[in-house]
Amino acid sequence: MTRLNPEFAEEMKHFGEDTALACFNCGTCAAICPLLYEHFPRKMIRYIQIGAKDRILQNAQELWKCLHCGLCTQTCPREANPGEILLGLKRMVVDHWRKS
Amino acid sequence: MTDEKKKSNGPSERIGVYLCYCGGNISDHVDVEDVRSRMEKLPGVAVARTNMFMCSDPGQEMIMEDLKNGAVDRVVVASCAPSLHEKTFRSAISRAGKNPFIYEHANIREQVSWVHHGNAATDKAARLVSAAAAKAAHLVPLEPIRVDALRHATVVGGGIAGLRAAKDLADRGIVVTLIEKTPFLGGQLARLDRIAPTGDKASDLVCELAGQVLAHPNATVLTCAQVDDFDGYIGNFTLSVKIQPPADPKIPEGSAKGTDRPDLPGRFIPFAGVLPENPPEKEAAVKLNTGVIVLATGFSSYRPRQGLYGFGTSDAVITLPELIRKMAGRPAAGSLLTIDGRKIRSVAMIHCVGSRQIPGIHPEDESGHLNEYCSRTCCGATIHAANQIRETFPETRVYDLYRDIRTYGRGQEELYDQAAKNGVVFLRFRPEAEPEVSFADPADSFALKVNVVDTLTFGEELEVPADLVVLSTAMEPSDVSDLVEMMKLPVGADRFLLEVHPKLRPVELPKGGILLAGTCQAPFDVGESCNAAGAAAVKASAILAKGYVELDPFVAEVDAARCTGCGDCVEACLQEGALSLIPVQVEGQEGKRAQVTPALCLGCGACVAVCPENAIDVNGMTLKQYEAMVESIVSDQTAA
Repeated sequence: MTRLNPEFAEEMKHFGEDTALACFNCGTCAAICPLLYEHFPRKMIRYIQIGAKDRILQNAQELWKCLHCGLCTQTCPREANPGEILLGLKRMVVDHWRKS
Repeated sequence: MTDEKKKSNGPSERIGVYLCYCGGNISDHVDVEDVRSRMEKLPGVAVARTNMFMCSDPGQEMIMEDLKNGAVDRVVVASCAPSLHEKTFRSAISRAGKNPFIYEHANIREQVSWVHHGNAATDKAARLVSAAAAKAAHLVPLEPIRVDALRHATVVGGGIAGLRAAKDLADRGIVVTLIEKTPFLGGQLARLDRIAPTGDKASDLVCELAGQVLAHPNATVLTCAQVDDFDGYIGNFTLSVKIQPPADPKIPEGSAKGTDRPDLPGRFIPFAGVLPENPPEKEAAVKLNTGVIVLATGFSSYRPRQGLYGFGTSDAVITLPELIRKMAGRPAAGSLLTIDGRKIRSVAMIHCVGSRQIPGIHPEDESGHLNEYCSRTCCGATIHAANQIRETFPETRVYDLYRDIRTYGRGQEELYDQAAKNGVVFLRFRPEAEPEVSFADPADSFALKVNVVDTLTFGEELEVPADLVVLSTAMEPSDVSDLVEMMKLPVGADRFLLEVHPKLRPVELPKGGILLAGTCQAPFDVGESCNAAGAAAVKASAILAKGYVELDPFVAEVDAARCTGCGDCVEACLQEGALSLIPVQVEGQEGKRAQVTPALCLGCGACVAVCPENAIDVNGMTLKQYEAMVESIVSDQTAA
């Protein structure tokens, strides 16, 4: 069971990410993403919303599969900018790796 | 009817039968010309004609021409359902200068060509049209029933809808009495703070309208008043109103402070409403003679059962109206919301509490009801409150647990957008897996936890830490069972009052002269309530404007020569007051005879069925007319 942690969304602001909460989970980004991973990148964005940092770290390798083609950002109906969110997550993961 | 009367008033010999092709809708399956030639041979039929579209101008003119030159004195049109064009043809007859009640309609589209094919279709059409012609032969001209209408309206309920209706009626010069059960005007709206989506102050809305009604020379307001007896009919209702001192005569706190609008009468008491005058100390009764009644009896807020989402087991579980009240007028005393002295770090708001209940999933209430409807206003109100919290107390987190978000209407989707910008986190649950609210572990700093299977997180179970759980409770209709019983009002499966037609006659009830305004009919927001109230006021003034009301003449009529005064009809009558026995002098003896009050009669025919003397008939649907129809249907005279 995951306990909601609102602090994580705040923490992400340090890594230049401030749009994850605009996402309303429509899944357009996951549908348009050429990588064909299940629910990628929406899953990562949802994990920010609920503050599941450990899940993101567990699945961090997925982030580096992203080609940064920009299709998700282009099609996002909420202008949540999924491409930028993924970049922010990469910065967070690298920072975490350095600290540990 | 006596035999002599029969002779003098025999069946018509000049019936006109007009058959419609409906542009192929009928003629593709019914041989209309064949039906025409069969009708022509029927006794009493003077002319039988066809047209591609009988409802077209040439079609109607054909009928009018035959009437004007005296070729026909009864009209039968065989076309679509009478609900579509019966009025059209009756009006054509009126325009030809004849009585519109010499008309009979046969439906050969919905009842024939759309459901049958081939010879069988043509034969059935012929039978239906011949039956209509047989009835038409016995039709007599009738006059609409005209009843005087009192130029007075009564509005039941002093919430926003009742106030709006009363103001609109008074402005049109109609004398209005508004009856309100409580000592206050403003209804449920007065118990709110700022209204979604515009942020208007509820007290401003209530004060403005209540002030206008109280100041209006045409309007009288009776508070602590309830209708306890009802009689009469459209244009002429009698109401008896009981005025009772309130059970709790104490005026709520804040009464010392008047309204901030000294120009308006009455004083506003927060979360109670406008108090026009001090509540009465003695019981009183008022009799009202009124032409129309506008029902604006409103709604009540759903009370969750004990234990639902922890309601009643913890003070930290409250309803949305309670939250609104507790938050009202609270200055931003810090970065955290404070409720009942407790600092609230996290709020979980749960939607659809008591709304959209599903049989088999949600338990019925103690009286066996489920609220299967959407209450419509709660999504907007919940998200509005969530935004208020996030914008005023930025350290207080808000979690919004929903089944579906329905922020319909102007300015409401923007609220939802704003909520995302404000960092409200949404979680979505399925109705069969509702969130569970429980006390948090003693080691936890939060008071409660809400466990939810979140479909947005791929069906994972999440735990929401919460200091406060807010339930977005449904709108339920006010208990008006006494009025329903008294006025014989129709009630829908959802227990709200039921209009005649949801699209075309949305504020009318089947009983003429009684209209609906606001949330007694369905969950509405403030604007929609005022719309409905305005519509009801227009309908009411349309009824009263002429000073009289015309009703269809299809009501019972007693043949005094045959009536023996046995009273069977009075006993069978479904509408109280429509039939009564009156004393008469018969050949020097005291006797009794049945008498119809036409404005009350429903024309149902229950009296006709029980009369042992055949002394009572419903005009336009007499036994003789029906016997002629039946004879025609079973005879072979229409066979090809």
